[in-house]
Amino acid sequence: MAELLGSSSVRSGRASFCLRVVGFVLLLVFAAAASASRDISNGTSKEPNPAREEDPHHRSNTTHHKKAFPVLSFNYEHVRTPFEISLWILLALLMKLGFHIIPRLSHVVPESCLLIFVGLLVGGIIKAIGEKPPILDSTLFFLYLLPPIILDAGYFLPIRPFTENLGTILVFAVVGTLWNAFFIGGMMYAVCQIEGTGLGGVDLLSCLLFGAIISAVDPVAVLAMFEEIHINELLHILVFGESLLNDAVTVVLYHLFEEFAHIGTVTVADAFLGVVCFFVVSLGGILVGAIYGILGAFTSRFTSHTRVIEPLFVFLYSYMAYLSAEVFHLSGIMSLIACGVMMRPYVEANISHKSYTTIKYFLKMWSSVSETLIFIFLGVSTVAGPHSWNWTFVVLTVILCFVSRMLGVVGLTYIINKFRIVKLTKKEQFIVAYGGLRGAIAFSLGFLLTNDKMKDMFLTAIITVIFFTVFVQGMTIKPLVDLLAVKKKKESKRSINEEIHTQFLDHLLTGIEDVCGHYGHHHWKDKLNRFNKAYVKKWLIAGERSTEPQLISFYNKLEMKQAIMLVESGSAAKLPSTLSSVSMQNIQPRAQPRGRIIPRISKGREEEIRKLLRANLQKTRQRLRSYSRHDLMIDPFEDNMSEVRFRKQRVEMERRMSHYLTVPANRQEAPPVRKVYLADDGDSRAVSGRRATQPNLSSPDAVSLLDESSQRANQRSPDPPRRGPELQESQEEQDQLKLSRCLSDPGPNKDGDEDKNKGFIP
Amino acid sequence: MGSRASTLLREEEIEEIKKETGFSHSQITRLYSRFTSLDKGENGTLSREDFQRIPELAINPLGDRIINAFFPEGEDQVNFRGFMRTLAHFRPIEDNEKNKDPTASEPLNSRTNKLLFAFRLYDLDRDDKISRDELLQVLRMMVGVNISDEQLGSIADRTIQEADQNGDNSISFNEFIKVLEKVDVEQKMSIRFLH
Repeated sequence: MAELLGSSSVRSGRASFCLRVVGFVLLLVFAAAASASRDISNGTSKEPNPAREEDPHHRSNTTHHKKAFPVLSFNYEHVRTPFEISLWILLALLMKLGFHIIPRLSHVVPESCLLIFVGLLVGGIIKAIGEKPPILDSTLFFLYLLPPIILDAGYFLPIRPFTENLGTILVFAVVGTLWNAFFIGGMMYAVCQIEGTGLGGVDLLSCLLFGAIISAVDPVAVLAMFEEIHINELLHILVFGESLLNDAVTVVLYHLFEEFAHIGTVTVADAFLGVVCFFVVSLGGILVGAIYGILGAFTSRFTSHTRVIEPLFVFLYSYMAYLSAEVFHLSGIMSLIACGVMMRPYVEANISHKSYTTIKYFLKMWSSVSETLIFIFLGVSTVAGPHSWNWTFVVLTVILCFVSRMLGVVGLTYIINKFRIVKLTKKEQFIVAYGGLRGAIAFSLGFLLTNDKMKDMFLTAIITVIFFTVFVQGMTIKPLVDLLAVKKKKESKRSINEEIHTQFLDHLLTGIEDVCGHYGHHHWKDKLNRFNKAYVKKWLIAGERSTEPQLISFYNKLEMKQAIMLVESGSAAKLPSTLSSVSMQNIQPRAQPRGRIIPRISKGREEEIRKLLRANLQKTRQRLRSYSRHDLMIDPFEDNMSEVRFRKQRVEMERRMSHYLTVPANRQEAPPVRKVYLADDGDSRAVSGRRATQPNLSSPDAVSLLDESSQRANQRSPDPPRRGPELQESQEEQDQLKLSRCLSDPGPNKDGDEDKNKGFIP
Repeated sequence: MGSRASTLLREEEIEEIKKETGFSHSQITRLYSRFTSLDKGENGTLSREDFQRIPELAINPLGDRIINAFFPEGEDQVNFRGFMRTLAHFRPIEDNEKNKDPTASEPLNSRTNKLLFAFRLYDLDRDDKISRDELLQVLRMMVGVNISDEQLGSIADRTIQEADQNGDNSISFNEFIKVLEKVDVEQKMSIRFLH
């Protein structure tokens, strides 16, 4: 009985929560709609407004306070635009949130479908109210919504599989898209010529234009879908790479046909110019992107003193690359990708760990918002837009898209497989073909068309195709992937073994290629690497890291990740004795000889230490939150775990569980890692008796602090080290030095706030 | 050059090499001309100096080991058969070969044999284990001279720790295979010999 009540209450609790969410969302929708309507009403009544506003003023002047001073006034016009934008975005994100709360829905239906559906709902509601729903404006889409998604994709593009399959991707992107465009355009024209369909007015060029618009695989939709099915890397990069690279083809074809559609005829010279245009557009786009990428990398070399604005450089240079390419009608997408790819290895070597995290999460955040908004707007625009439904045209379009895609992929793969080492199987071909989704780019391009007669029909057909691919193909691809037992993505991270052996094999293969006299893939890659190492890195990477071999940076990253993970899991995992950061010796030639490893302490004591630290750590984290604009978190503390000292102090520590231990750990020489506090209220004797010349770590818990380590952006007067005995834990010290270096904390700043120590604990 | 090469290489030899390594006729002929172009002494065999004359091999960190891999134990000359036998490891695996009957001996370019070839490049003393020292040597060759011994040592230790399963502080061939199971060896260790 009790269980029944309990479960029902839980269920009702969840249901009521859902209801509340839904209710709140609806409220927002109404607010958005109302604001849209108010927009209209305000627009019409703009004229009388100033007059009206003057009136009270007038009146008050002439009649001497007949009207009371308005305690609360309503001025919506002032904030209208940002308010509505924020409201829309908030609505979109709440929707997204809602989907993931409802448990079963997100497994069956892909998110993109749900968002379009919501868009339809919202559009319907707005229309029902009687207002005109907003349409996905092409300018808004191309300039604001699309770049974040592409930048996110380009910046985190997995380079290795991309370059290994570049040939295949290019063939699919260029030849495949051309085939699609001409096939669809041609067939449509042929059908339009047939009497009785009522489509006689559509001429060849319009058909080809339509074909060009509808033929391109859309990166947004592909990304949204493939993210959820976790397919293996090869297929993912094939479809996704194709969707990115076909932008150049789409741009050229679109402009070409649009121009000719006005003129009416095409000559051979025009076709030739079209081909030239294609090369100009794609290569020019890549060039523009590469230039901005190099600029960005070069700039990041000097940002060691202003870490806070580092991410902005990445974003702005990339955005400028996109806009610059768009100015010349070059391919903006390719420019953005080239910029991100070019910039990334150098920027990542230069920027701090926190900036890296910031970049990653900002990109993900923006692209997520953009994607959500795009799909919702697609739904709304469907409801809003003028439609002209022609059964033949629309159905034909859908069928033709599907068929041409299948034919194109199969045919091209047959040719490509002759040149590939690892052939594409039939299953993989099917998935590649099936994954060719159309999306918002096609819609926006269609929207840009000027010819009113055909435009409505085209738009309707485009929307139908988009719906078909997103809903039908999007929903069924997951079960199909499972059914066909296509290889899924391997979830594991790269181990140091894999890295070493992969590099080893690279060298080996390069050597063998040289023996054979065969200038293949490895040969050129090796040449590029050599060129990079010899010339480029010196210019674009700051400091000593320019000479750091890739293996070492990989290893350092790995160690740091492991350290952070250890802390976050709070596990009692043994800190491997190899976790030494002897790499620090690289940049500190005066490093003192290190040889000792952590003296073993018994398991029981280790547990006690951990428990103590964890308890104190958590409380400290909650307390110590001091922010200033220029530096980030001052982090809590640092454990000074010399075994000898600990034995001495254990008793006191256990007694003072509620207090905080802070001890300043000062670094005299070069990159001071961060400030370390081990505040010990009552044990001033120990504090003063301590001379900490190097920071220390002896337990994984303490490593957590590195995560929150503060970055001194600028001036802090160096404080002389005052106390602390020489600590013996050379191992951890090296550790921390290395870890700090990995965080790329800037150089000359010393730890300031020693004074804060005593008055530190509130 | 072409005609002279083909007269020096008899048809029976080509057939034998074809059977042993799986290369096609045109590939064998092309590689034979490469062989003869390297063979400055024109005695039908290659010595170590002939290999070292290849410029890119000189700057390859693994250059010496690769050269050594061509020469059988203790010998200083390698003939064309041996040359092809070594190169056969890098032939791409074809689909129809995957379905061959399991009783036949494994072709030289099977995944296991490819990995064995790579393993042997690490394991110079042929004790079927990659010891810490051998690993250190390879690491040193790959990263250059600027990195300290201790740092390399810690990398080597970590590598062995990750791979080692039986606790002998070295990597055996099976552990090597296991570590690389996620790497697409068929693609990585294949060179597309143009038709």
